Amino acid sequence: MNTNLKISNVTKIYPGCVANDNVSLEFNSGKIYALLGENGAGKSTLVKILSGVIIPDEGEIYLNENNLKLNSPSDAKKNDIGMVFQHFNLFETLSVFENLIIDSDEQRESLREKIDTIMKKYNFSIDLDIPVLNLSAGQKQKVEIIRCLIRSPKVLIMDEPTSVLTEQETSELFLSLKKFSEEGILIIYITHKLKEVMQLCDEVAVMRRGKLVSVSEIKNENIESLANKMVGQNLKTIKKKKAKTSSDQLIKITNLNFTSEDPFETNLMDINFSVNRGECLGIAGISGNGQSELFQVLSGEIISEKNSIEFNKNYIGDLNPQERREYLMAFSPEDRLEQAAIPQMKIFENVALNNFKSSNFFNNGLINENKIKEHSKKIISDFNVNTENIELKSQFLSGGNLQKLIIGRELITSPDLLICFNPTWGLDVGAINYIHETLIKINQQNKSIILISTDTDELLKLSDKISVIHKGKLSKIMNAEEVTSEKLGILMGGAN
Amino acid sequence: MIKIVKRDQPSRAIFFFTPVLAIFLTLVAGGLIFFILGFKPFEALKFFFIVPIADKYGFSELLLKATPLCLIAIGLSFCFKSNNWNIGAEGQLTFGAIVSGGVALLFYEQEGFYILPIVILAGAIGGMLYASIPAILKTYFNTNEILVSLMLVYVSKLILDYLVVGPWSNPEGFNFPETRQFSDSAKLPLLFEGLRIHAGIFLALTAVVISWFVFYKTYLGFQMKVSGFSLKTAKYAGYKGKKMIILVFLISGACAGLAGVGEITGPIGQLHREISPDYGFTAIIVAFLGRLHPVGIIFASLVVAITYLGAETAQIFMQIPKYTGQVFQGMILFFLLASDYLLFFKFKFIGSKK
Repeated sequence: MNTNLKISNVTKIYPGCVANDNVSLEFNSGKIYALLGENGAGKSTLVKILSGVIIPDEGEIYLNENNLKLNSPSDAKKNDIGMVFQHFNLFETLSVFENLIIDSDEQRESLREKIDTIMKKYNFSIDLDIPVLNLSAGQKQKVEIIRCLIRSPKVLIMDEPTSVLTEQETSELFLSLKKFSEEGILIIYITHKLKEVMQLCDEVAVMRRGKLVSVSEIKNENIESLANKMVGQNLKTIKKKKAKTSSDQLIKITNLNFTSEDPFETNLMDINFSVNRGECLGIAGISGNGQSELFQVLSGEIISEKNSIEFNKNYIGDLNPQERREYLMAFSPEDRLEQAAIPQMKIFENVALNNFKSSNFFNNGLINENKIKEHSKKIISDFNVNTENIELKSQFLSGGNLQKLIIGRELITSPDLLICFNPTWGLDVGAINYIHETLIKINQQNKSIILISTDTDELLKLSDKISVIHKGKLSKIMNAEEVTSEKLGILMGGAN
Repeated sequence: MIKIVKRDQPSRAIFFFTPVLAIFLTLVAGGLIFFILGFKPFEALKFFFIVPIADKYGFSELLLKATPLCLIAIGLSFCFKSNNWNIGAEGQLTFGAIVSGGVALLFYEQEGFYILPIVILAGAIGGMLYASIPAILKTYFNTNEILVSLMLVYVSKLILDYLVVGPWSNPEGFNFPETRQFSDSAKLPLLFEGLRIHAGIFLALTAVVISWFVFYKTYLGFQMKVSGFSLKTAKYAGYKGKKMIILVFLISGACAGLAGVGEITGPIGQLHREISPDYGFTAIIVAFLGRLHPVGIIFASLVVAITYLGAETAQIFMQIPKYTGQVFQGMILFFLLASDYLLFFKFKFIGSKK
């Protein structure tokens, strides 16, 4: 039997952001569909709407011409829509079988038979009676898939399923998905990995900034064309003037590795690069490829080997952020509200977070409030933060003003190197321009920047050199003038 | 129609209003309970909350009970503000009392001005040592400090039990489970003739001032504040998060230990089995009722101390079991947590004119 799933004019608006802007799509069984887009493009919102987690503001969903009202995940289940999320929803200490029967009302015996049949059919081999915590990531995912298959779904949605899988497990998954598709299950595959789309899917829908950009058949596409659609071609040619080429090396990273104990973090492998004075090194990549870990290693939140980071002829790999600041480094993390600043604290208290010995914020262990306040006022006027009141809690600043405060706090001590991570994420155009101008100005003062960003336009606009991070590895470092957004898109998707 | 709306920001006025509301609701609910039990609610509440402190003696008793509560709660506020859930202050109090009592016994029948400071210091160190166990286990072995600190309470009580029954019991004590009386030099002086209020209250007030100073005026306090709001920010700023955790436990343990010193070197002047009517646990309520602020904690400790006295008065005059005191303490915490809902949400009355 054919399955037809239709999304019609779906819109979902969050305060300050249109997550889905009038999206209409149609899927038919027998094909594997890719839903492609960068982080924040709106694909997750769309599949959450399909699986009943989010209720859309407008629009309808039809399954075989029936209008579905999906008010909860169980409505989606009832209507034969199965979903495997990126992060597993399994009870680690329960056995595989117990996990499978939790949301089923069938008899244990009959269910066991059913599971056995499914496993035989698709060549899954998992011991049903061991606890889930003993399974590999690939096996856990199979358990999630079996959980969907028990209900004989018409639609199976996979949300970034390969992010935790090995190459081997990925190819096994692709075989299974192709088999499901042959049996008439409609498969929607959400990803930002171009290679996988080319390998697996029949049709691809690309989303960008909440809008559906294109729907096309894979045979008419290639990696470059998809990268272009995903990243967007609105390439501005406004570039900063190339700085005088300086050969004065400021920071050098040598053979830097980081292995995380957290399976959702990315390991960094063999990072090598250097930045000269007055230069901006851009690091591109789709988020989750090791940018956050790289930032932390550079800022000293993660300590590495002493010799792996050489800054201004000092080895500083084993120093913490505060100690690194003394060597004139400054850091602006990605997360404004949870890391770079504390929203519940006042503006001047947040300024005190960047504390040098020479700033005299704290004398003999006591808070020197006057000094901090004086300093805060200077930041506010020098960096156009739109408030007079330094006693204001920073949660009342807009994102743009908070970011100006943070950048100002980091820059007012005129550091030799600023490391920033997505400095304009979520800001309005005015604030973005201001931050960009500020960053260009730093370079002109012969200070250096390492700009880690997921915004390709931004990188092309500001960088002198660009490298791409993918799965914790850096690509070779390219001159920004020779780089195009197509080329970046391809490297970001992991292809060469 | 009433609609519940999320507040844009927690209201500062509400922040201080909810403890008052919680106390009021506790009184209402308490009155209701008395009514159901067949007492006249107003009369019972009067016996509970007014009669006990109506005279000089009663007022001294109030301060006597409020002193350890205040002291412990001040210490706990350091832990709670930085998201470290030390609920074993009772154990730290007990262990502090054991160490300081042991030292006091060493000076048995000796006199000297130097003895009391040593005894007090020993209590603080005892409490710190005991609090360092959950702190170190938490920071280096990822154990849960709630469980460890709680279970250690019972360990310390058994140690005390063993000591007062066994090796430290008074040789002339007819096998009563208690030690010898400390010498006068090892005892906190009484402030007034005939009243039990002792110099321990100064320890508590000093702690209030110091904690205010540390938390609001020093770099150390600033680091603790930041670490409490966000460990990620603390890491980014370059503060040593683990050290900060151990430190707040030590401060908290020292305060609880000092409270223990006050209990044994005050009017009682010996170690015995029941040195604390769960002050260490009740102080958790005090800390939250006082909004973890030094001044708030002073008021909260007075309010909660009344429930101890009221329970005794009510038992004597009305034959109400004294455990109603604990019922009141429980209700205060319950209503406080419930009314904290108002911090983040507000009721919006939507009239028919819509």
